[in-house]
Amino acid sequence: MDVLKQLLGRLHPIIVHLPIGFIVFGLLLQWYDRKRQTYGELIPIAYLWGGIAAVVACLTGYLQYTGEGYAFDTVKWHLWSGVATALFSFLMYAKSEGTKAFSFLERTPTITLSIVFFILISFTGHKGGNITHGEDYLVEPLPNNIKSALGYETFEEKQIKLNEDNWEEALLYEDVVKPILNNNCVSCHNPKKTKGELLLHSKEGILNGGENGEVVVANDASQSEVFTRMKLPNDDDNHMPPEGKRQPTKEEIILLGAWIDAGHPFEGTIKENGLAKELFTSFFPQNLDNDYPDIEITAASQDSIKIIEETGVHVDPISESSNFLSVSCINKPAFSDADFENLLSIAPQIAQLDLGGTQVTDAIFEKLTQLPNLTILKLDNTSITGQNIKQLSSLEHIKSINLTASKFEETHLPDFSGFKKLKKIYLYKTKSESQGIKTLNDGQITVDYGNYELPPIPSDSIIY
Amino acid sequence: MKDQIERLIQEKLAREVQAKTRRHFIKSCAQGMGGLALSSIFMACDPLSKPAKKMQMAFSERDLNPLATLPPPFAPKVKSVIYLHMAGAPSQLEMFDYKPELHKYDGQDCPQSLLEGKKFAFIKGTPKLMGPQAEFKQEGESGNWVSNFLPHFKKVIDEVAFLKAVHTDQFNHGPAQLFMHTGSARLGRPSIGAWATYGLGSENQNLPGFVVLTSGGNTPDAGKSVWGSGFLPSVYQGVQCRSKGDPVLYIEDPKGVSRNLKKNTIDAINKINKEEYAKYADPEILARINQYEMAYRMQIAVPEVMNINNEPEHIKQMYGVEPGKESFANNCLLARKLVEDGVRFVQLFDWGWDTHGNIREGSIDMGLRNKCREIDRPITALILDLKQRGLLDETLIVWGGEFGRTPMQENRGNKEMAYKGRDHHGDAFTMWMAGGGIKKGASHGKTDDIGFSGIEGRVSVHDVHATILQLLGFDHERFTYEFQGRRFRLTDVEGEVIKEILA
Repeated sequence: MDVLKQLLGRLHPIIVHLPIGFIVFGLLLQWYDRKRQTYGELIPIAYLWGGIAAVVACLTGYLQYTGEGYAFDTVKWHLWSGVATALFSFLMYAKSEGTKAFSFLERTPTITLSIVFFILISFTGHKGGNITHGEDYLVEPLPNNIKSALGYETFEEKQIKLNEDNWEEALLYEDVVKPILNNNCVSCHNPKKTKGELLLHSKEGILNGGENGEVVVANDASQSEVFTRMKLPNDDDNHMPPEGKRQPTKEEIILLGAWIDAGHPFEGTIKENGLAKELFTSFFPQNLDNDYPDIEITAASQDSIKIIEETGVHVDPISESSNFLSVSCINKPAFSDADFENLLSIAPQIAQLDLGGTQVTDAIFEKLTQLPNLTILKLDNTSITGQNIKQLSSLEHIKSINLTASKFEETHLPDFSGFKKLKKIYLYKTKSESQGIKTLNDGQITVDYGNYELPPIPSDSIIY
Repeated sequence: MKDQIERLIQEKLAREVQAKTRRHFIKSCAQGMGGLALSSIFMACDPLSKPAKKMQMAFSERDLNPLATLPPPFAPKVKSVIYLHMAGAPSQLEMFDYKPELHKYDGQDCPQSLLEGKKFAFIKGTPKLMGPQAEFKQEGESGNWVSNFLPHFKKVIDEVAFLKAVHTDQFNHGPAQLFMHTGSARLGRPSIGAWATYGLGSENQNLPGFVVLTSGGNTPDAGKSVWGSGFLPSVYQGVQCRSKGDPVLYIEDPKGVSRNLKKNTIDAINKINKEEYAKYADPEILARINQYEMAYRMQIAVPEVMNINNEPEHIKQMYGVEPGKESFANNCLLARKLVEDGVRFVQLFDWGWDTHGNIREGSIDMGLRNKCREIDRPITALILDLKQRGLLDETLIVWGGEFGRTPMQENRGNKEMAYKGRDHHGDAFTMWMAGGGIKKGASHGKTDDIGFSGIEGRVSVHDVHATILQLLGFDHERFTYEFQGRRFRLTDVEGEVIKEILA
């Protein structure tokens, strides 16, 4: 008998669609027929069958409730609204039959009853859905900001804020481990969802483990499921987080492992727990060694760029997200000092300038000082001698100057001592006979003279 | 006449029907069903979800000049790539991956546990392990290992970052080369160079954006598809240039055809092609117009850049070039010249690394040594030469084969071979990168004691691709091309940037 009870109970999720179908059909028919009045006889039939089916649904629903061990609190709204739906269906039947038995039915307009009924059946269905799929089933796919506007709890991404100075003082669990779990795991392993009966949002949850028992084994990450499941290949069925969910980075997984290996402490700073620095460096703000200045700048006008490009000079943004420009004369070897004026409309944006192989002379240096953000300058294969190159020291971002195969004279080398950020000068194929690398300004500037050699060795000519 | 027109119309309709795929069908179904579109409406409400930024140039403008330069999504570390591919698969065990333990097991049977479930190209039964046939030393400040097969290379070892545990899932040359260059072992995908030129264009308007140079007497087993454009417009495919004879076949005007006549001819052809385009709007017609014009400009520019005779003597000696011949050294020097002139992607293939031990040229202790000698000086010279010109900072050099070789000696047909050789092996092999954005002197990944499998820092071919794209300024997961109703990536659905070798 119990088997039958359970079986019938489990049929509830199927059977409920029957009354929904009848009732919605009845409501739609009623609306469709409001003027035509040709299907009047059908409408009560729909409600009658809707009522009967709703009773069957109620009975199976009750069986499921008792048979599957749901708490009354979980099902109470669905249960009572289900019963109400069944009763209401019969009411609608009575109303549409035109019965005179209930006077209040006569007084209430059909449209009011229909709307109430529609709301009631939607509410019942929704509550039922919540029981099987979970409270947040419908809301979950929404973006975080809409979710919180609707009053749902969101698992906001928490940034891990560590840097060179504070990393030792940061709390290991609170500031590092917790945000990793929060960002990658807690959207399923939280008190509302509790997938696999596991909670990862709190110390207690982590220690309690899930349906397969413990998930952390002190001092042994390789035995701790919370770690090993993340280490599995992405296409493994047991891999966590599951396919389609946000995946932790390699560094995050390694750090979790190290935390477990250290005995998964919930208290204390990183220093107190004695974890190595290299575990954390990937969370430090990345020191972006960009080839252009770290300042915000307005975009150059597209018209100015177009005008310059029409002269045969390349003007390209350094990247889609940067307003800095890279200007190249690779297709315009005839470019001369006089042409420089054309570039002034985009002067603040120019970060890289390639004048290699052009006709420019030493007079260009004075003009170049009008490019405040110039970072990389190429003057290779030109007749530059370096006269007046000192003027470029007013450019505070300039980092690299390529003078390969120019007429640069070594006497101007000391002129570079006033360059604050200059790192590299290329002097290969100039008049200098020097070889290899020299440094200036106490190692700040590397001068590469090139002239590297690969002297012949005996093995060059041994053929096996 | 009428018949012909009707046949043409029939053909056009048939083509249209063929072009419709299952994905188009499903897509249009989905668009018809408003319900399914709801999710995208919600996404549109979310100010945090940024749609992938469209290429900044209007599509039609790019159509007109397919090689126009485009900015990458984020600041690139390098402008150009020189990819050195050793076709046939070099033995990592005699070059970079030093396995002293393997010496001890030399001549012993390979443990069954390693062979179970594994497939080899030629090895049958139980092969014997073979110790390293080269002597190794740690070189440079990095202390990375390199063998005496590469005596010059130690000079630049601190410029290089090694990947010691690359793996591939292909063990035959053709598919493995395709995988290595297109991200798929099957035909039809664009090569890395095609992706790069498609995404970035090319600066020099007189030279192709993607140049291919081959040496070693043969082209790669996988054929021209390894530098093909796949489903990308064909203008992005690699242009094969030769270091012997005409740099590009038929680049010289035929006898009796003056440069002027040529120009007029091309103008006339292009005029007709433009009319065709106005009618059919097929972007391939634009690509063709552009290629005619580029070919015309190339007739002057290419012979110039491909001429190594004008290089100074000491440079020729440094590379060890042999003008007039087809050689890897010539190609290395050419690669530098091309990069210097703004070519985006230079692909070198050197054939002859398939050291099975079946012939003298294909032996580990002799043939391989010769091949190593042929590349050692040129590669070292290339790195030094780029460095002294300030070009190494903005160029990426990638070196590798399509897979590695077994720690076991090959026993083709279960017999002892005439020479020492190793079979194809995809489980673990070495690649290296050098240049802009690369952590100098790094070494990532480790193989087991005999070099059979990676035990630490294993990286896949997709990871290598993701890293190359990253250095060019692309997020490999967002860099896509829509084809047959779905977006394609070089790295398909895999790949992770190898941060360990990035500066």
